[in-house]
Amino acid sequence: MTWIELNQVNLDRGGRPVLRSLSASLAGRAIGLVGANGAGKSTLIGAMLGVLRAKSGDIRVLGLELPAAALELRARAGVMAEQAGIFPGGSGVDAVCFAGQLTGLHRREALRRAHRALDALDVGEERYRETSGYSTGMRQRCKLAMSLVHDPEVLILDEPTVGLDPVGRLQLLSLIRDLRDEGRRILLSTHIMQDAEFLCDDMLLIEAGVVAYAGPVDKLVAGGRETYLAEGDGLDAAFGRLLGERGLEILEPQGPHQIRFRSQSDADLGVFWKLAAEHAVEIRRLGPEIRSLEDAVVHVMTGTDGETPSTNATERPEIEAGAHENQTLLDASSVAAEARRTMSGTRTQVETKSEERGPTR
Amino acid sequence: MPTVMAEQPMGGVRRAPSALHVIRAIANRELALGAKRKLVRLLFLGSILPPLVLAVILVVKTMAEQMSGFEFGFDPMIQFLTFQSLPVALLALGLGTPIVARDRAEEVLFLYSTRPVLPWHYALGKMFAVAIPVAALLLFPGVLIAIFRVGIIGNITTLGALWMVAKLSVAAMAVAIGFAGVTVGPSAITRKARWALFLALALFTVPDSVVQAGAALLDIDNPWPGGPNTGIRVLLEALFDGGPNGLIGMLVLFGYGAFGYFATTWRVRSEMTP
Repeated sequence: MTWIELNQVNLDRGGRPVLRSLSASLAGRAIGLVGANGAGKSTLIGAMLGVLRAKSGDIRVLGLELPAAALELRARAGVMAEQAGIFPGGSGVDAVCFAGQLTGLHRREALRRAHRALDALDVGEERYRETSGYSTGMRQRCKLAMSLVHDPEVLILDEPTVGLDPVGRLQLLSLIRDLRDEGRRILLSTHIMQDAEFLCDDMLLIEAGVVAYAGPVDKLVAGGRETYLAEGDGLDAAFGRLLGERGLEILEPQGPHQIRFRSQSDADLGVFWKLAAEHAVEIRRLGPEIRSLEDAVVHVMTGTDGETPSTNATERPEIEAGAHENQTLLDASSVAAEARRTMSGTRTQVETKSEERGPTR
Repeated sequence: MPTVMAEQPMGGVRRAPSALHVIRAIANRELALGAKRKLVRLLFLGSILPPLVLAVILVVKTMAEQMSGFEFGFDPMIQFLTFQSLPVALLALGLGTPIVARDRAEEVLFLYSTRPVLPWHYALGKMFAVAIPVAALLLFPGVLIAIFRVGIIGNITTLGALWMVAKLSVAAMAVAIGFAGVTVGPSAITRKARWALFLALALFTVPDSVVQAGAALLDIDNPWPGGPNTGIRVLLEALFDGGPNGLIGMLVLFGYGAFGYFATTWRVRSEMTP
């Protein structure tokens, strides 16, 4: 069931357009909201909560029209915001209880549920301590408990694993995955691709305020087309040229002893095997290319998949991810390189991989 | 299916809570937090002393009148209220000046906006947290004194006592609104509670000084009140001593309340965003 619908959403902040003709319909149980810093993720969350008003366009979450039904949505959603802390001045259980009261629970019920939420998140006696002395991990758990206390249908999590050590991060992600498996819908805003890959079945990739990709993670990772990767001795540029002469589309970048090509049918693979046999090339591996989500996102953002770039955002096709059929990879064109550079958390790895593959458009 | 919350879902479609529920939750939390602070507890105890002193004065006055047969002809209520407004003002300063500044310093205003809380819910919740104890500390001793005078001393009728409580309620409400505005408003303007305290103290003193100086310069005998203190004095004189400009005094206090409300909603509206 589609639970996030964005239709031609335009939103300005401080006179600067932040979201531009944003359209997507998303149905996944867990949706990853991914983009570089400043891409518009937090702004979109603000608009989806009715805190920020769109200049034009329609936003519907859980079938509720925003910002008109903002208060009802906020009562049904639990939000863990990166830039917001914990209600100050009291203990952890006080803060979680207060969060429950704000969503409509009476104090006694809120307190009971606060303890349940903190129990579920393995917060022991620390819950009675002042929150000002909490470690980062404890703060994140407390924030998650605050978003869970009123049994929300939807969890909106903005960078939930920021600042956590690897063990704490994995624990928190596992908890969130369990919450997803309980049946809650999750919108995870992150720029840590591994987190999104771990949790999400759908992905909304925003870049410079426009949708760069919306659709299932599986198809994003698979590349959405028949890309094959062959590895073996003798697979070099000359062999690639020969394949090209036989009508196969060779894809960049190529690694040492590697060739990437597009295969539309078994006949294409037959051509490849035949040529390999003719030139006595020893093939160690041949199969559809499976990329990490990080690679896939970089491909989408830098447009290295061979798509024809379209620099005009308004010309970009709308994406109906709910149907999981019309997902479209859109190029990042002019801002891609900048966005890739600012994508903290994955920056070093991204740049290294990108450099290995050669220049991007 | 794993169950993280180990809880049966609430079921049904959740509705947004009423504004009253949200405002009450915010006010209750602030009162609970305030009660944990030593300074606030001390100021609260300090606010309870004047009613005790008044009770002693009343008893001594009544005994002296009965023994001497001489009517002293003064009502200690106005003196009590004027005096009581001082410790109550200190309590309001202790409670109100950190109330928004702390939220701003901890960057939790956006947190409120992720819950079904509107800026005016927030502002009223915070102001009620200051206004409720202020009003209570003015009203309850007054009610007790009224009961004392009717039941024990017997120097006023029941109707007279009710009239006194009614006037006291008006005074307590106006003072509570004014003090809430004078303390919460500065708290919304600055991030640091100590700066909010300085600003609030300035509001308690500077406008009156300016009005007094202006009146002296222009040779005006009975100037209108400018600050909350003179507002209270003028209002109490009008209610209990037939003095002039009572309505002006009340409007001044309401004006400070409005300042606190609008300063807070303006600040919250601008910072309740991601």
